[in-house]
Formats: sequence, C-alpha cells, structure tokens
Amino acid sequence: MSTSATSDKRLVYLFGIAGNPELSPAMRALADDGWEIIVPDLPGFNGKPGFVAPSSYIDWLTVVWDALDATGALPCPVIGASLGGMLAAELAALRPEVVTKLALLAPFGITDADDPGFDLYATPSAERMGHLFAKGTPDAFNDRFGELGTEEAPVARYLSDVAAASLLWPFGERGLASRLHRISAPRLTMWGDLDELRPVATSVRWGNVEVIPGAGHLLEWDTPDEVTARLRSFLTG
Amino acid sequence: MKMMWFHLMPYPELPEDFNQKHRSVWVDIDPALFDRRVMADTYDAYIDQLVYAEECGFDGICVNEHHNNGYGLMPSPNLIASILANRTSRAAITVLGNSVALYNPPIRIAEEFAMLDIFSRGRLIAGFPVGTTMDTTFSYSVNPSDLRPKYYEGIELIRKAWTADKPFAWNGKYNQLRYVNPVPRPWQQPSPPVWIPGGGSVETWDFCAQNDFVYGALTYYGYKMVRETVASYWDTVEKAGKDDNPHRLAVTQFIGVADTDAEARKLYREPAEYFFNRSLHVYPGFTDPPGYVTEASVRARYKSQVRALARAKQSKHDLTWDEMLENGYVVIGSPDTVREQLEEAGRELRIGHMCAMLQFGNMSDELTRYNTRMFGEKVAPGLRNLFAEYDDPYWPSHAVGGTHFNEVEAGSVK
Repeated sequence: MSTSATSDKRLVYLFGIAGNPELSPAMRALADDGWEIIVPDLPGFNGKPGFVAPSSYIDWLTVVWDALDATGALPCPVIGASLGGMLAAELAALRPEVVTKLALLAPFGITDADDPGFDLYATPSAERMGHLFAKGTPDAFNDRFGELGTEEAPVARYLSDVAAASLLWPFGERGLASRLHRISAPRLTMWGDLDELRPVATSVRWGNVEVIPGAGHLLEWDTPDEVTARLRSFLTG
Repeated sequence: MKMMWFHLMPYPELPEDFNQKHRSVWVDIDPALFDRRVMADTYDAYIDQLVYAEECGFDGICVNEHHNNGYGLMPSPNLIASILANRTSRAAITVLGNSVALYNPPIRIAEEFAMLDIFSRGRLIAGFPVGTTMDTTFSYSVNPSDLRPKYYEGIELIRKAWTADKPFAWNGKYNQLRYVNPVPRPWQQPSPPVWIPGGGSVETWDFCAQNDFVYGALTYYGYKMVRETVASYWDTVEKAGKDDNPHRLAVTQFIGVADTDAEARKLYREPAEYFFNRSLHVYPGFTDPPGYVTEASVRARYKSQVRALARAKQSKHDLTWDEMLENGYVVIGSPDTVREQLEEAGRELRIGHMCAMLQFGNMSDELTRYNTRMFGEKVAPGLRNLFAEYDDPYWPSHAVGGTHFNEVEAGSVK
C-alpha cells in the first residue's frame, strides 16, 4: 500500500465506511499479484486531530479529488468499497478520463426509501462494527488506532466515524443515479447478499450486479477469495 | 434568584409496559400510542398551568422544543408561547428555545420571536439551543457535522436581522439571502435577552461567555448532577474576563412541595417514577451520532468517568425512588426542606434563574396546581432575595423584575 504512484501496474483503492486500518485480504492478494495499491490519505479517516468535515458534498468531493490527484496515480483502475464505492462512482462519472476500469463493492450513493437499510449511526457506537461484517469483525477493525493508546485511540476512532458520517448522513440520495450514465469505463459491481446497510434487493438500480453469497457490507473482508477472483478476472480481462 | 416555571409537556398515558414493548420514547415512538382527545385535553391543561404559574407569582414561564417525542409535546414552542403572551401580562415568556439549525432559512425564527416579543410587549427570552441528537440529527436528519456551524451562522443572521435599520444581503455558508428585512423587529432593542440551553459542551460555555448569553444547564437529573458542568462554565466565564453575576446561569430542577416531607414523598413518587423510568426510555443508539460532539468535547468526555458512570446508571431506567431523592434528581419535601436545598444549590452553583419543573411525568392537573401554589407561596419568598444585590441584565425589559416593568404595570405601554 502506498499513497503515491511509483509503478505502471497500479490501481487506486477507496476504502469503506470504517476506514482503512490495514489493506483488506482481497487487496493484499492483488498486491501479491504485482499490483501497486494506491490508497489516498483522506482527512478524518486517518484519525488525526483537528479534523473539520467539509460543509457540503461538493466540498467533500473536492477534498477527495485533491487527495487523489496528489497520489499521481490517475488515470488507472479504481476500486471503491462502500463509501469509497460512492466516491469512485462519482469520480468515474464526473472525471471519466481518469478512470480506466471501475470496480464497485456495495457502493453507497443510491437509496431506496422503501428499503433504506440498517441505520448504522442510530446504533450504540460499540455495536456498529458488528453490522458491517457477516463473518465476525476482523481484529484490524476492533483495534482501529490502538497504536495511539487508550486516551487517543477512541478520539481517533470518533474522528474517522465523523468523516464517514458527514459524507453519508442521512444515507439519502446524492444525485448519483442521475450521473451514472456518464460512466464510460468498464464496470464491475459486487454485492454481499447479507449486506445490512445496503440491502441487496436495492442493488438493481446499479445494473449488472454480481451477488456474493455469505458476504456482508464489507465483502472484501468477509469473502476475500470470491472477491479477489472476480477482481483479477476484471482487471486482467 | 428569579423563579421560573418550566413545562416539558409530557404525554401522560404511556402504557405501563412501555419500556418492555417499545424501543424508544423519542424519534421512532409508535404514533398509535397517542390519543388525539387525550392530546387535546393535555394541551389545554398544560397551557392553563403555565398561566396559573404567573398567578402564583413566578417571574417567568418556560416552554421548549422537542420532536418525535413522548415526553415533550411541543414541536413548536412558539405556538404555545403565542397563547401565553396573550393570556399573561407580567411573566417573562421564556422559549428555550428554537433549534436554529433546523430552520431554513432561520429568518423564520427571527420573525416568530419578534412577533412573540411584540405580542408580549417586551417579555420574551429568546432561547437558542443546539438541540439534542434525537431532535436534530435523527428527527430532522441534519448532518451532525453541519449542526453547529449552521447553528452559529443562524444566530448571527437572526441577531443582525433584529437590529439592522435597513434591508441587507446575507451571503453565508449555509444561507444566501438577497433581502433580509423581517417585519416586525422585536419590541426589545437591540435584542431580547438570549439564553442558550445546553447539555455540557465545552463550546457552548465559551459561546455564552463571549457573547454575554445566559447559559441554561437544562438537566433532568438535578443540580447535583450538573455541578461539574456548571463549575466548568464559571471557569470559562472567568477566563473570558467576565463578571460572576449569578444571572448568567439558569438551572432546571424537578421539585415537589407538600406540607410535610412525608406527605411530599407520598404525593410525588408516582409521577417521578413515571418520568424517570418510563418517559426517559430513549434508545441509546440515538444519542451519539458521529459529528454531533466536537473533538474537544469528546476528549473531555473520556476524562469524565464520574459522569459516564452516572449516565450508564440513568440509561437503565430502573432508578429507585430513594436513588432519585438521594441524588437530587428530584427535590421533594416540605417548604422548608425544599427551600433549604434550593438555597444550597443556588449558593453553591451561583444560580440566578431557577427553572422549577413542578409538573413531571403523569402528575395530575390538581397536584400540579397544588405544587405550583405551594412553591409560589411558601418556597419562592424565601429564595427571592438570594443574589438580590446583583442586577439582572439578562432579563426582558418589560417582564416583572425587568427595567421597564413598572411602565407596563401602569398600563402606559398597552
């Protein structure tokens, strides 16, 4: 994992709602294949003190665009999971020239009012992680920012959650559906059939979705082999 | 010390098994629980009680704002305040308040508060709470990270709108308005007194101190539970170089008065248990959305283990009557007992405005009136001189105790 590009065989990974405590097993497998995984440093998600959320969606996209451009990685394939899937789709719709391939894993950004999904933030913070995974919370997420110590770690976790919530609140439409037609890059969309946050039944609006059995919202953690196989095929195809 | 009568307006007929069958009294409460006839009668009774409080000598009468809520039936306190402005003539009409970030544009608040101040001929106290998470981020879906910036911008806009002598344009981050020119402007100029009800956030103390707003420590758990909060507030006031006038502070307190301590314990036990163990049954998931609390307050929270332990106990909603009494959640007793406790509270915390909550839970209209009269006649007189040596510049000019009250009393204004 790196924050700036050094290789021609590179891709950008935009992580999900719970941040990026370490590379997911699926991303590690791609790294083992020789891919350079570029993860932009997004404010808030890194838990650093002093984070103030951008005051609008367009301001957030500007911050993300700046972070992406700072990596020097684009144009290249972009993989986005969960919240990062929404950002990746926006990038491919609004800057189609910088995304050569687009892989989305249970992206946010399109909502069905009849089936809005589980409200993660209307849940006690200690219980939230359990709703992101179908096969138990990985240690990396249980121990997020643990290296900062007992006083600073909870503050860093809170700031990371603030960043995600400020982008997603209240899990409503962001107008992305009206921009999907602008995506010109080849696209792979995957969804876990046990996703609590984004019910799989609502994925139809994305079109051509591959459903992964036994996976929750962060499916590259729950079912790394299935996700990796599809990503390999998509990226090399 | 000024005496205020504060009404939450709880729904009085939540079922006994409410806690077992329902997740929360707030946000997603089952609308089938509310009977429209009970609701109509309840509003009538509660409004009459507030009017009665003025008759019993209270300096102010207070209403507040809650949404999707089973213990606070005032999504629009301004509607209640409008009636009170018309039916009373002396008391401060205290709206605590309007949650500024919920209104787009907040000019609506400038207009309605100005109308209330005109209706009451200068008796309005304008309260601007940030608002609870349940009211703001869940019931109204305001992004928690936007809440405070919207709130601060809204207050700035409202205050400018009240004092501007000509139309102006506003080009803020959240509001862009070409013609700001609310009609009417408030009776009180440059502004009705501004009070900020708060729950203990670091930023609110500083905001109050810097702007000379009254800080309202609105607690359901009594003066003992806000000692830490209030001490931090006074520290902030001192650091800001401001005076320590007790009228910079208001505190809420549930109170029950009867002829004897024993009778008071008998009379007020059921409504207290109804309120603390049924009305406050709030699902914990609605209390901590990321972004509502600032980084500074999060750090303070993790250092305040005493408060965390108390909150954990309160959230179980299985408080015993003895716990409520011992911890001061309710101050119950004879007039002397109540006066002694409130005087102690007033001196220790420097409370210039006591917001007495004399109706709580399912307390009947008859008992509420008895409680109100007992407090007004037998408790308040013994407390009124506390801090009498201080002016109260945070009080409406034309309410009882205000600088122009005699003018109103003589009828020269109306």
